[in-house]
Amino acid sequence: MALASTLTERAFAERRQKSWDELDSLSRKSTQQGLRALAADEVSDLPSLYRDVCADLAAAQAARYSAPLVDYLRGLTATAHGILYGPHAARDRDGSVAVRRTWLVAFPRAVRKRWRAMLLATGLFFIPLAIGLVLTLHDPSFAFRVAPEAMLRPLADAYARGFDEGRDAGEGTMMAGFYVYNNVGIALRCFALGIFGGLGSAFYLVQNGLTIGAILGYVATQGAGANIGTFIIGHGSLELGAIVLSGGAGLSLGWSIVAPGEQTRLASLQSTARDILVIVAGAAVMLVMAAGIEAFWSASSTPRPIKLTVGGSLFLLVVAYVLVAGREGPAAAPAEAQR
Amino acid sequence: MAAPLDTDVAIETPEHIVFHYRLAGPARRALAYLVDLVVCYGVVLVIALVVVLAFMGDRTTKDLGTAAKAGGGVVLLALFAAQWIYFVVLEARTGRSVGKRVMGVRVVTTTGRPIGWRSAALRNLLRAADALPTGYLVGLASMAITSRFQRVGDLVAGTMVVVPESARVATPIELSPPAKPKELATLPEDVALDADEREAIELFLRRRLTLGRAREHELASMIAGPIGERLGFVHPDPARLLAIVYDRAVNVGRGEAPPSSYRARTARKPKEEQPWR
Repeated sequence: MALASTLTERAFAERRQKSWDELDSLSRKSTQQGLRALAADEVSDLPSLYRDVCADLAAAQAARYSAPLVDYLRGLTATAHGILYGPHAARDRDGSVAVRRTWLVAFPRAVRKRWRAMLLATGLFFIPLAIGLVLTLHDPSFAFRVAPEAMLRPLADAYARGFDEGRDAGEGTMMAGFYVYNNVGIALRCFALGIFGGLGSAFYLVQNGLTIGAILGYVATQGAGANIGTFIIGHGSLELGAIVLSGGAGLSLGWSIVAPGEQTRLASLQSTARDILVIVAGAAVMLVMAAGIEAFWSASSTPRPIKLTVGGSLFLLVVAYVLVAGREGPAAAPAEAQR
Repeated sequence: MAAPLDTDVAIETPEHIVFHYRLAGPARRALAYLVDLVVCYGVVLVIALVVVLAFMGDRTTKDLGTAAKAGGGVVLLALFAAQWIYFVVLEARTGRSVGKRVMGVRVVTTTGRPIGWRSAALRNLLRAADALPTGYLVGLASMAITSRFQRVGDLVAGTMVVVPESARVATPIELSPPAKPKELATLPEDVALDADEREAIELFLRRRLTLGRAREHELASMIAGPIGERLGFVHPDPARLLAIVYDRAVNVGRGEAPPSSYRARTARKPKEEQPWR
């Protein structure tokens, strides 16, 4: 008898329904409330229920059961697969160790590993900055070509007034919000547009360098050069450093497509992106710190010598951090360890 | 079985079971994105309104009050979160933003597993590139030329957006009214249908109630003739003929169980393969 070896669809479904319902309710509970909501015995049931439904799906496909039943089993399998093979592994590690490792070791190492891109980004940012500065000092109207006059004049007036009044807490908070929104946004975009062969990052670096140079030059020609210098030195090392780092990360991203080495372009792009994500995160954190300093410290009425001393030490600290931190310790394997 | 549609992607589990995910196309994803925009900017707008209403009362001086300025800072932070943080956090933790939940789609890796923080961060950072030059044209072009509807961010992060099958119990097809003995007089005990025939009849039977009477008759006649002839089975109503044949093929003469669980597999060897082909 040809078909005697298999169960009818209805009998099959009746026999297995209880186990499917069990798996379904476990999956739902875990998707809605998280894996930790499951009791211990439920967790240990999950894999065997999942394997059973895998076998049921194979049997249903082989026996040519109706499409809705097969779809139902596929749905069960897919949901349970997503729960069992989720990216849970990294969460079990000690959180504070992971954070320390990321900021003291992984981030500076990742920056040094891409030192060529970082050097290029530094050049692409600071050379236009110097050009903008020199050209504006030579002829102040040059500044109006890169930044609107309506923005530059009030800016120069504001710096000319000095910082004796300081900033009240409300204005500080507003400016902090603006710096985070604007500067971190620029840095992230500067990284992301590196995907186009690095051109987007290069554009952002050059454009920002030129603009900042022109602003510095213009304010200096209006007689407030010392003031803007005092203002910038507090947060400048973090802020400008972070722009260069995210730009360098973008250049690396672009370069990974242009010169993929022995990998396919896509594989090279994907592995590079995972590698340099920590640089982007680091740059974002640096910018948030810079926003706090810029909003509450740089414009405060603190005397100039103190601002210069603090700013200078911060600059040395940032440079030392990027160049020296994480040189000792276990060999570089953080990229694989944290998924 | 018919070849899978090319908007399906096959996932092989470590158990060597293959299942398919349906990929979410640009239209569905654009709608999900619109919902997300409304949610994000709705929240920002509400915060902004609260700030305005709470602090604009003191307009005695020309300057904004301290609290109002601080509120402005909070609004800007909310705007930043809407642009850069919202998607990353929701997708890393649940695999779907609010809009994706509404549209019933989910982000998974190209190997069919849930995405982690890195993938979520990368695919949403690269949004800035996809959104260029305007209206996500880069992303749309990328989706058009990749086989899995991936925008640039998906390519970099190794992810794709799928429409998971909702797990609902299927109702089996019933033969109603039950066959009368007179109808079954010429029907053989053993009805063999191949997979294509079975699938075609099943689809027809599930759809027949939505068809007009004449159209139902017309569709059924196309296949009822050859099948009836082959089985030596005659019935005046072709749709009824198909229903009876299907019922017998599916529900009669199948006594034993297939290897229905992983424990059972070791106990019983599978019988000869697909003897009806």
